[in-house]
Amino acid sequence: MQPNQKLSVWKKERLGLIMIMASLAVITVTAGLLFSNQRQAEEAHIRKQGINLVKLMSRMSFDQVVPGAGQQGVLSVLQLNHENTSFSYLVVVDKNGRQLAELSSPGVIAPATPLPSSPTTWLGEKTLNLAGDGREVTEFHAPLFRNGLLAGHVRLGYFKPGFGLDLEQMPFLATLALPIFLLTPLFYFLVRREVRPLKKVNSQLDELVERGNLNRMEITATGELHEFMTRFNGFVETAQNKIHKLESERTSLETSTKLLTYKRSRIDSVLQSLPDAVMVLDESGAVSLANSRFSTLLGVSPADVVEKKPVEWCDNQDVVAFLASCTGKAARGFNVESFEYTPSGTPEKTISISPYPLFSPKDPAQLLGTLVLFRDVTAVNLAKQSSGAFVAHVAHELKSPLNVIAMYSETLQSDDGANDDFRIEASNVIHDETERLSQLIGNILSITKIEMGSISIERKRVKLRDLLQDTYDTCARNARGRDLKILADLPREISPVAVDKDMLRIAINNLLTNAIKYTDPGGEVTLAAEETENNVRISVKDNGIGIAPDEQEKVFNKFYRSENEETQSRTGHGLGLSLAREIIQLHHGTLTLSSAIGEGSEFIIELRKEADLLKQAV
Amino acid sequence: MKRILIVDDEPHVIRVVRLALERNGYLVDAAANGKQALEYLEEQHPDLIITDIDMPQMNGKDLCMEINSSLPDRTFHIFVLTARAELEHRKWASAIPNLDFMEKPVSIRRLVSRLDTYFADVQLSDKQECQTAS
Repeated sequence: MQPNQKLSVWKKERLGLIMIMASLAVITVTAGLLFSNQRQAEEAHIRKQGINLVKLMSRMSFDQVVPGAGQQGVLSVLQLNHENTSFSYLVVVDKNGRQLAELSSPGVIAPATPLPSSPTTWLGEKTLNLAGDGREVTEFHAPLFRNGLLAGHVRLGYFKPGFGLDLEQMPFLATLALPIFLLTPLFYFLVRREVRPLKKVNSQLDELVERGNLNRMEITATGELHEFMTRFNGFVETAQNKIHKLESERTSLETSTKLLTYKRSRIDSVLQSLPDAVMVLDESGAVSLANSRFSTLLGVSPADVVEKKPVEWCDNQDVVAFLASCTGKAARGFNVESFEYTPSGTPEKTISISPYPLFSPKDPAQLLGTLVLFRDVTAVNLAKQSSGAFVAHVAHELKSPLNVIAMYSETLQSDDGANDDFRIEASNVIHDETERLSQLIGNILSITKIEMGSISIERKRVKLRDLLQDTYDTCARNARGRDLKILADLPREISPVAVDKDMLRIAINNLLTNAIKYTDPGGEVTLAAEETENNVRISVKDNGIGIAPDEQEKVFNKFYRSENEETQSRTGHGLGLSLAREIIQLHHGTLTLSSAIGEGSEFIIELRKEADLLKQAV
Repeated sequence: MKRILIVDDEPHVIRVVRLALERNGYLVDAAANGKQALEYLEEQHPDLIITDIDMPQMNGKDLCMEINSSLPDRTFHIFVLTARAELEHRKWASAIPNLDFMEKPVSIRRLVSRLDTYFADVQLSDKQECQTAS
């Protein structure tokens, strides 16, 4: 047991202890008072008896008190009285103090004492101590006369009543103590009973403080305690209501905080993942918000921008001036027009800045600031440029054959038209040029359709050898007079493939035309085909100018034309290879290129055999 | 007889233009690109050059610039045939004297009549010059 627990046991039981102590004190005090009272009464009784007795003996004649030899005196009578426990001694002395007669309790010797000298003190009382045990004695003395003359003194001693208990008094003491002892536990239990509800209240309060359980106290009590309990429970109910109200308010507050946080983080994530850099300028022209795109687009961290004016983080004076023109008071009147600039250090980049005034949703007349979008328009501008260049190329490519057709037909109408040889020549040329035109237009239409996703290929079982031979013949015919060897290395039989005949023809035709275009006179262009286990492999190989490694992937891009001077000098619309690859990809095949500058290029088409496709499908 | 040089990579164009011009009394020589034309000019002195712009090896623009710098005292005129009569061409061409544009597709008849007019004008101004000189 811990010391403080011991202490608490003492504390708990202190009431009982106090009552026991109190009852003992009451018994002691009562007994003390009683004994003191009894002693005083006894002392008074002894004094009365002693004084009466010495006075009586003083009035007697000397001879009566001190008889002669063989005579019985008063002392003998008094000896009968020796049963009085208080009696100590009775001594008769002459006027010189010589003892004449003595009567004493056993073991008592009358103490010596000086006799009173003057008559006024002859009758008196004094306290003496016995020799031996030193007990206190009250002595009464009176004079004795013989014939009217002082003959001696009578000394009568009584023991002073003591404080000690004697057996006789025990029953009395027991009678006194018993009811008190019996009443004490009764009172104790009565008090305990009264105090019990208080104890319960106490323990429940402890529980309340320690565990925070605020509940009504179900304690039965009467009187004032009952009233207290009623009022206390009223207080508990009020407190409970208040706590519930506070808790529900706190819950709703937490919910709305969570909701706000969620909404805010949602808006924030939208803002951060926008493809453009977004910035808000306040009325003073300082940045109040900027998203993370700033670092990628402008190379400035959003943290370095916020709460600063553009002049502090932007070194381009035109941009600073433009942003100033759409903030503050100027914002009311500015036109929502974009401004394009090229950041220093990145000459290839173009950034467009678009400002939008931010009006308060509640009061449209109140301007909150300016929303500014920074957008990288490099790709858009490039696309615009290349599509413009593409249109120009296409126009040129269309005009050249048209020009030839127009010239021949015009000449046919002239006098030369009468010449039969010229007429045959003209009809051939016009036919070829028309063919060239329709091929170009076909290419443009096909690539547009593929780009727009509106084309669907019609796969049919095709005799690939016939298709290749046919395409080869057309190209070889068109390349007549160019001093090129156009060769075909085709096996007699090729496994059937499921392809869109017209599309595949366009792809192979484009590869051949391309090879012919970029091969110098005296060169060689070969169309070959072979079978592997699962695929059919078609290749177009030339020993022309070749393509640099860094350009080998770019040549398949639409509009792309090599920076190479050799290439620039040859007409082309940058469309043929792009279209060829798209067509092959639509057939789930691959078109790859291996090439070296000055050695030539080889374009390789890999198509799955029909059997392999079926196998896959099953 | 006036000697005319046609520079074009399209053999059909040369064929038809040659046919028409020869019928109208011109002497016609041909080159397939700028390079060939410059080689020709080292030996011959045509009265007029008709050139295309888009040609392999050396295009029409480079040919004109080269002629302008290497033959500053030339007297012959240049007609530039182009499918793209665009400002970009006008810009470089403005620095070269005795140069005109003809837009594609070219009508043979119009070409012949333009050449006829040109040479008639030249003859006239030559005569006037002679008269003023005398």
